Parts: sequence; C-alpha cells; structure tokens
Amino acid sequence: MNAPVAPVVQSTAPMISVRGLSKTYAGASVPALNNVSIDVAAGEFLVILGPSGAGKSTLLRCINRLVDPSAGQVFHNGVEITGRSRDLRAVRRRFGMVFQQFNLVKRLSVLTNVLSGRLGYRSVWRSLAYSFPEADKRIAIECLARVNMDHKAFQRADTLSGGEQQRVAIARALAQEPQVILADEPVASLDPKIARQVLGYLRQVARELGITVLCNLHQVEYAREFAERVVGMSRGSVVFEGPSAALTDEVLHRIYYRDPAEAPAEDE
Amino acid sequence: MSAVAFETVVSAALAEASRRRLRRGTKAVVWAAAAVAVLWFTAAQIGLNPAALARGVPFMADFISRMFPPDLAHLRLLGGATIETVQIAVWGTLIAVVLSLPLALLGARNTTPHPLVFHATRLFLNALRAINELVFALIFVAAVGLGPFAGVLAIALHATGMLAKFCAEEIEGVDRGPVEAMQATGAGRLQVILFAMIPQALPAFVSYSIYRFDVSIRAATILGLVGAGGLGFSLIKTMKLFKYHETATCILVIFLLVFVSDWICAKVRARIL
Repeated sequence: MNAPVAPVVQSTAPMISVRGLSKTYAGASVPALNNVSIDVAAGEFLVILGPSGAGKSTLLRCINRLVDPSAGQVFHNGVEITGRSRDLRAVRRRFGMVFQQFNLVKRLSVLTNVLSGRLGYRSVWRSLAYSFPEADKRIAIECLARVNMDHKAFQRADTLSGGEQQRVAIARALAQEPQVILADEPVASLDPKIARQVLGYLRQVARELGITVLCNLHQVEYAREFAERVVGMSRGSVVFEGPSAALTDEVLHRIYYRDPAEAPAEDE
Repeated sequence: MSAVAFETVVSAALAEASRRRLRRGTKAVVWAAAAVAVLWFTAAQIGLNPAALARGVPFMADFISRMFPPDLAHLRLLGGATIETVQIAVWGTLIAVVLSLPLALLGARNTTPHPLVFHATRLFLNALRAINELVFALIFVAAVGLGPFAGVLAIALHATGMLAKFCAEEIEGVDRGPVEAMQATGAGRLQVILFAMIPQALPAFVSYSIYRFDVSIRAATILGLVGAGGLGFSLIKTMKLFKYHETATCILVIFLLVFVSDWICAKVRARIL
C-alpha cells in the first residue's frame, strides 16, 4: 500500500519554521518564550516535551497567533505569517488546534461543533442563520467517521465522555482541512488508557491525511511512545532536540530540573 | 525532622490560627456595632414608630371591613382588563428581549466593538434601570396618550435595562476555552460570538427573560394607576368612587393573576434548565 500523498509543496522549506521567537506577557518579569527556533518537516509528528510553565502552550499559540509574539518570526512553507494581520483568518484556517480542556461548545450538537471548524471558510451572513452548505456537512461527518464518532453526531457535546469529546475536538480540527494540527496537552485531562487511544487517533489521522502535528506533552512515556521527534523545553527555551530514543535520564533531567536548585530536595 | 522541631512548627501554626481568629472576631464586633448605630439613627430619621402602627389598626380594620364581601358581580367587568394586563406584559417583555440581545453584546467587555461603546451602553442601561415603570408610564401617557400602548413601552424600556445588563454579565462570564477554539478555526469576531458565546449565555438569558415576564405581569397590574391600561385602572377607579367591594374584587383578581403567572413561569423555567 502506498503512503497517502502529502500536499504538494513547491519549495523545500520546512512546513513550519520558527526563528528567534520570544514572548513576554504584559506584567510578567520573566519571558514565557525565550529566543526559540525550531523547524518542523511536512508530515512529521513532533512532540514538544516539558514541565508546566515551560512555554509549550505559548509556542503553539504564537504559531496560530492566538498570542502575538514579542519578537521573532514564524514561517509556514517558507512564507512569513507572523506580521500579517489582514489575512489572519486564512492563516489560522491552515492550523487546526486541539486543547487540553477539549473546548467544545457543550450545548451544541457534536455535528455543529465539528461544523464550526468550517467557519473560517464561510461568510458571516451565512453563519447568522447557523447554516452550513451541504459540502461542509459531508466534510464534518467524514471527519467524525475518521475518529469513530459519527454515531454520536446528533448528541449534545456535554453528553460525551472526556475521551469522546477530545475525539470530536480532533474532528473539528480536521474539518478545517488543515496542513498542521497544534495539540496543546491533548491528553492531560484523560486517564492513561483513554489518553493512549486519543493519541493513537491523532497519529493515525495525521498519517492518513499527511498532516503535520505539533503535540505538547508533559508525560515522558507518551512522548517515547508516539513521537517521531522530540523538542524538550524548559523555562521558555529549547533544551533538547532529537529522536525520542535519545531521551536519556540526563536529557530528562535537563528538561525537568534545569537548575540544580530546582531538583527535588533530598528527604531522609 | 526531629520530634521537637515538628512540635515547634505545629504549635506555631496553631498560635497563628488563633491570632487570626481573634482579629476576625474583633473586626466583626466593630462592624456590627457601627451597623446598629447607623440603623438606629435611620429609624429615628424616617419615623419608625410601632405605636403609630398600633394606633392605625382600627382604621385599617375599618377599611378592610368596608371591602367585604368582595363584589363578585364586578368580576364580569374585569375580564377585559385582566387580558389587557397580560397583553401589556407579553408585548413589553417581548420587545425588551429583542432589544436587549444586541444591547448586551455592545455592553459586554468581551464583545463590545470599542470601550467607549461599552461605557455608553452601560450608562444607557443604568438609566433605563433607574427609572421605574410607573415613571416611564407617566412619560409615555403624555407622549402616546392614555391606554395600554403607553404601558407596553414603559415595561419594555425598564425590562430592557434589566435584561440587557444581566445578559451582558452572562456573556462576560462565558468559558474562554470554546471562544479560543473558535478563534483558532479562523472564525471572524461575529462568528465567534454566534458559535461560542451565545450558546453559552442563552439558557440563563431565556430563564431570566421568563422571570422578567413574571415581574412585568406584576408591574402591568399597577400601570393603570397613571392611565397606562390594565387592571390598575379599575383598581384606582373603584377606589376613587368609594366602591370598596369592587376594589376588593380587583385586588383578588390581581392576586390570582400574579399567583398563576408565578406558577406557570416557575414550571417553564424548570423545564428549560
């Protein structure tokens, strides 16, 4: 069986290229992101590993501009997307996002939640009637089928379990027909069994559709299991980059206890 | 940690806990004393006088005895006024619901197009809330003439102030997560409001609208005092003509109407939530 064909890319530029990205939030004394540079190849499943507060979320949010970086650039297929505010919607459309808290609209149906992934393509006037074209409904149901959630299309989102909600959230991201999925701690609120299932779906659909994935995680086991490549972050900086097999104890210590003073106190 | 050091840490924390409790207790006593002093002074100012109330009891008894028995034949004439009262409340509330949704979006910090619009809207809504329905009714009777239409406008304006402010606060309190998720899909500002914010705020808004309808019924029963239609007109008319038996019937009907509307509204709200 042939591998699915990835979207044709004219240049040889990486899918995403981050250069010297920094972000200091208003009122904060320490930067959340400090001069970060990474490249992500098309079709790659990259895990960004690090403790809470390492800047992983900020990095993802700077890529789709939910957060405006203080300095640095982000390139998508060789085109800079950082400074462009006029076609912000078109930029965001290409990046699907999955969140720790799923962020579905609880009172809406599963199908409507997935359809909302099409909003970036549709005019405000049509949205006023909460109506979508037939073609969008087909896309939405196909995306639900890819994560095996099509049988719950007409239920309210808040009737689903956490794992099911996250699968619907993945379907919503897929409905954007994105080139990249940014997954921000997608399994941090799920138990280990469900977490593996959700990460499995994420990896599977990304492979089938040739989607590049940037996935934030704080659990080493999942990184070892699912990542093709790992970027380790600590206090806003990249402290490791390599295959998941290279996650030695020394590397993990660098990621999780960068400063000797932060190492756990030796109890008796 | 040695046993002695452990004991020191624990007893220090205990001592701190009792210090804090004493401080809180002192504060509570001071505030309570201040509140009593202020209330005592106010009572004297506005002439709170139980003796006067006791002296008034015979007059009240006389007044009430003149109302008995209620003139049930008068019921026949109150049907139209009762229906009119409900109609005023329905239309007043409906207009308020329609007006308050856009006003709420302009007057919520997270959906307003500009901070100036936010402040202007909130100021306007506060003005609507500050003015009682009866005062509005006086104005509208002068503007559009005697009758229920003035009552509808009076209720609509006051209820708009209430509903829009409540809805704006509900919008400000929506969960940020779905909002961020919608933004991430490339949805525009209005689409984010439609798909992430309104679905979150709607249940509370609908529930409050129903409660508001119940309040509007009560308000509509007295608007007739200033000539703005409904049961209040019969009430004031029979009173001025000293037909107290008929007045009693009016009060009875108002009581029944409010009771029934309260009961229905509670049922409907329970169904929705």
